[in-house]
Amino acid sequence: MNTLRLYFKSIGMLLRSHLQYPSSFIMQTLAQLVMEGGEMLAVILIVDRFGSLKGWSGGNLYFFFGMMSVSFYMTEIFGRGITGDFPSMVRTGRLDSFLVRPRGVLTQVMCAGTDPRRITCVAVGVVALIMGSNISGITWTPLKALVLIESIAMSCLLILGLFMIEAIFCIFSVKSVEIVNAITYGGRSACQYPINVYPLPLRALFTIVAPFALTLHVPASWILGKPLYGWPWWAAVVTPLSGIVVFGIMTVLFHVALRHYRSTGS
Amino acid sequence: MRAYISVFKMRLRMELQYRGAMIGGILCQMFFGLVLVAVYRALYDSKPQSLPIESVVTYVWLQQAFFRMMFGTDSDLLDKIRSGDISYDMCRPINMYGFYYARIVAMKLMGSLMRAVPMLTLAAFLPKGWGISLPASLPGFLLAIPALLLGLLCVCALENITVAFTMRTLDSRGMQGLLTMLMMTFSGNVLPLTLFPDSWQKAITFLPYAQLLDAPIRLYTGVYELSAALGVYALQIFWIIVLIALGNVMWNANKKRMIVQGG
Repeated sequence: MNTLRLYFKSIGMLLRSHLQYPSSFIMQTLAQLVMEGGEMLAVILIVDRFGSLKGWSGGNLYFFFGMMSVSFYMTEIFGRGITGDFPSMVRTGRLDSFLVRPRGVLTQVMCAGTDPRRITCVAVGVVALIMGSNISGITWTPLKALVLIESIAMSCLLILGLFMIEAIFCIFSVKSVEIVNAITYGGRSACQYPINVYPLPLRALFTIVAPFALTLHVPASWILGKPLYGWPWWAAVVTPLSGIVVFGIMTVLFHVALRHYRSTGS
Repeated sequence: MRAYISVFKMRLRMELQYRGAMIGGILCQMFFGLVLVAVYRALYDSKPQSLPIESVVTYVWLQQAFFRMMFGTDSDLLDKIRSGDISYDMCRPINMYGFYYARIVAMKLMGSLMRAVPMLTLAAFLPKGWGISLPASLPGFLLAIPALLLGLLCVCALENITVAFTMRTLDSRGMQGLLTMLMMTFSGNVLPLTLFPDSWQKAITFLPYAQLLDAPIRLYTGVYELSAALGVYALQIFWIIVLIALGNVMWNANKKRMIVQGG
C-alpha cells in the first residue's frame, strides 16, 4: 500500500511539473489528439469502403480499436518510466541512484515518468468504444462490464511487460533496441484488428509470444456476442490473465538482468 | 551554390555512417508492412474493390520503404535551436535556409535510399500478392523517379516550415507533432490515399502532403495515366515554390526575433 501511495504521489508531482508549461502541454496534447484521430479516421474510412472485415461489422471494428487505444495509452500514461524513459535512465546513469535507495528499482522506475499528453488518445479510444458498443448493439450485463475492465487492465500489464523486454535488452546493450518496437508498437497497430484477420505465423506471435489475442480479442469478441473460435464464456474471463503472467515473467527477468547491470559511468 | 553542394555531399557521407540503426529500422518497417498487407488482403477477401489488391500492397511497401524520407528530422538543428548555437549559423556568409535545406535533402535522400533498396529487394521476394509488384509499365516507372525527387524537395520544404515553428516556440514537440501527424494521415502512411473515399480524391490529391510519396506511387502503380505525369510535376513544382517561399519568409521573420538561450 505504501508503494502505491508513493507511486500516486510521484505521478501527481510529475503531473504538476508537466502543467508548468501550459501552452506547450496543450499543443502536445492536441498533437496526440490529431494522431489518434488520424488512426481512427483510417478505421472509419476502411469501414466506409469495405463495410466489414472477415465477418466483423464496422461497429465491431470500432470496438476492437477502442479497446486497444484505451489499453495502450493508459499504459503510456501510467508506465512512462518503462515505456519511454528507461533507455535514457540507463544511458545517463540515473538508474544508478535508484539502486542505492531503499525501494524496489521497478517501483522507482515506474514512479519516474508519466505521459499525461496521451489522455486525448485515451479519449479517442473511449469514443470508439462507445460508438462500437452502440453500433454493434451490445446488451451490457454486469459480467460483461467486469470482463471489459479485466481485459483492459490485463492488456495494460501485458503491454508493460512487452516494454520491459526492451528495458531488459537495454540493461545489457545500453542502446535502445528498435527491433522490440515490432511487438510493442507493431502489436498495437496489428491487434487493433481482430486476430483472425492474420495468417498463422502472425496469429501465433500475438497469441503465444505477445498474447494480445488472449487479453483483448477473446474477451472483446465474447462481449460482442461472436466468441472467437467458439470458446465458452469462461474463456473470456480466464484468458486475459495471461497479461499478468507475462508481466510476472518479465518482472522476474528484469530483476535477474539488473544483477548484471553495469553502469555506463556517466 | 558550391557551398550548398558541399554541405549536401558532407551530409550524404555522414548519413551513410549509421548502418546499425538502419538494419533495426528495416526489420521494424518490414514487420509493419507485413501487418498492413495482411489487413488489406483480409479486407479485399470480404469485398474486392475496383483498385486491384496488388496496387494497394505495392503502395504499402513503397510507403514503408521511404518512411525515412517522410519522417526523418535534422535533430542537430533542433538541438541548436534549443541551445542557442543557431546564432553561430547566422554568422555564416550564406543563406541559412539554403544551408539547412541542402542538409535535410541530403539526409532524407541517403537515409531513405539506404533503407529503400534493401527493403524493396526483400519485399520483391515475398510470395505473389504479398510482395511489391513490378511497375505498371516501364515509362510509368521512369516517370515516377522525377516525381519522387520532386516529392523529396517538397517534403524538405515542409520540414523547414516545421523547423520555423520550433524557432518560435523553442519546444519542438507541440507544433512539430501536430504537423507530423497531419502529414502521416494525409500522405497515405496510415491508409493509402487511393483507398480514401472517391469523393475526397480531388481535394486530397491537391494537398501538398499528396505530392510527397502518393503522386510518385500512383505513377508507379499506374493509377495515374502516363499523360497525367506533366500535370503531376506541375502541381509538385507549384507546391515546392509556395512552400519554399513560405519557409523563407518564416525563417527571415524568426531571424529578427531570435532569442538565444544563453549559457
